[in-house]
Amino acid sequence: MTGRVARVAGFVTAAAFLAIALPSAANDYFVGVGFTLLVWIALTESWIVISGMTGYISLGHVVFVGIGAYVAATTWSMLPIWAILPLAGLAAAVLATLVGYPCLRVRGPYFVILTFGLSELVKYIVINIESALTVSGRVLFGAPAVGTLYLIALGLGWASVMIALAVRESRFGAGLRAIRDNEEAAETIGIATGRFKAAAFVLSSIIPGMTGALMIMRSTYFTPLEIFNPQTSVLIVTMAVIGGSDRPLGPLLGVAFLVLLQEALWSNLPQLYMIVVGALLVAVVVWLPGGIYGRLQHLIAAAPR
Amino acid sequence: MSTQLLIAALVAGSVYALIALGLNLIYGTMRLLNVAHGEVVMIGAYVAYWGISLLAVSPLVSALAAIPLAAALGALIYVGVFRKAMQSGEFLERIEGNSLLVFFGISVILQNVTSLLFTPNQRGYRYQDEIVQFIGAVVPVNKLIVLAISGAVCVGAVLFFRLSTLGLAIKAVIQQREAAALVGIPLERIELTSLCLGFAVAGLAGVLVSMTEEISPFMGFPLTVTAFVVVILGGLGNVLGSLIGGLLLGVLETFGVALTAPSYRSIMIYAVFIAVLLLRPQGLLGAARART
Repeated sequence: MTGRVARVAGFVTAAAFLAIALPSAANDYFVGVGFTLLVWIALTESWIVISGMTGYISLGHVVFVGIGAYVAATTWSMLPIWAILPLAGLAAAVLATLVGYPCLRVRGPYFVILTFGLSELVKYIVINIESALTVSGRVLFGAPAVGTLYLIALGLGWASVMIALAVRESRFGAGLRAIRDNEEAAETIGIATGRFKAAAFVLSSIIPGMTGALMIMRSTYFTPLEIFNPQTSVLIVTMAVIGGSDRPLGPLLGVAFLVLLQEALWSNLPQLYMIVVGALLVAVVVWLPGGIYGRLQHLIAAAPR
Repeated sequence: MSTQLLIAALVAGSVYALIALGLNLIYGTMRLLNVAHGEVVMIGAYVAYWGISLLAVSPLVSALAAIPLAAALGALIYVGVFRKAMQSGEFLERIEGNSLLVFFGISVILQNVTSLLFTPNQRGYRYQDEIVQFIGAVVPVNKLIVLAISGAVCVGAVLFFRLSTLGLAIKAVIQQREAAALVGIPLERIELTSLCLGFAVAGLAGVLVSMTEEISPFMGFPLTVTAFVVVILGGLGNVLGSLIGGLLLGVLETFGVALTAPSYRSIMIYAVFIAVLLLRPQGLLGAARART
């Protein structure tokens, strides 16, 4: 098992090394698509650390993206990028630490709607702060070129996959899965369920925070309504679920599929894109539990040799 | 306490109660978390809007179209998605989470289909908006109509669950599913009926909302959230509780906004929502709903 995971990790790392060459080989359009792809990989792979592993489905992960972006927007003219990115991650981690423990006592569907409500609450608080400061949107002057942002996104995307793989293989990950399968039993055999869940929640918030900072460097514009858009949370869940949220490689399929679909539809027919996203979510949950990846594995396992 | 605010609170509260009623009915009988409930309200609102702007039909007449349309949507979703899914053990095992994701997908579909068909713009129409004196308060007539209809439906619902055979059968399924099946209550038909009834009431609520407020394809989600606050306040699966919860939230919101500022409205609703979820994490289902 560990050998297999080491191979997967090696494969992902090799792919990441190859991907470094993209900005020098392709034009800005493809680098931009690559950036989008990597951003979603970073968000989705971070999400599965809490939601894929423990079954506590967070429908509010955009809150970490938003808080990271907000930190980046407010410190943009004061700090260099290499300081802003960790700071954005730190801000997300602090938020996750504050809300994680109480929120994770709430189970099942209540946790889902709670995380959604929480991200909306933070959104409206930020909107009110901004309007109290009489700021309507913040522009980021002198943001780096897409090639540079792409490389940072590549780093974050790679790190998120590595973290997901490492967590899955560790004792920590085994504990998290035990919580998903039966929380009472997990507690009975001595797993500190509260601390495990809180730790996974914080771990899953850091990269989204940094990604949020990166996202507004790309758009060079920050408004709370846009960056805290709950649609982002929905897309994270959908990408992970249609790919198969149980294994670190599953979400990669979901991300690739939806990002390519987005490129094809978003500029002309954004509503049609969301309709397809909605339909896919329904179809996978009802007819394809385990996602595309789970289905493929199932087919491969069932194939006659 | 000013009568002005009290009436505003009653109007808001009775609509919340109406929306929450359907949500709770669907959860109670099937344990489905219908996060697309606000979108059903939105559809009802659009029916009323097109009725008055294209055909010059009063919203009260449009309600006669909105209600069956919403009910038909409910039937379609039950037959198309849930009837089969609910026979699979894998789906049932995590039915609340799964149904939440499914309804989420449905809500995204409904929002975007509406936005594609009718543009994402806000719309509104004027209906009975002259202002009258009413027990010492100054109120537009349309708000009084909303209050009268939603109040009547809420009272009707209480009587329905107390007196009619169908209402009692639904309540029996909510309280003791297996036992209800044993005494010969047809589960599948009760489920279908509940889903249609819940959707129908949401469609009616949409017509009422459109009389006093602007509508848009994305108006539904805040309503869904509000309805969840109400249902959680009153207890999931407790139909009478959601009526009380609705009025409570109406009072809380109206007086809260009057004391602070309208821009704090969303913060307040979400804060109450989160506080209720955090403070009663396990006890939300009412006293004792065994996990089956």
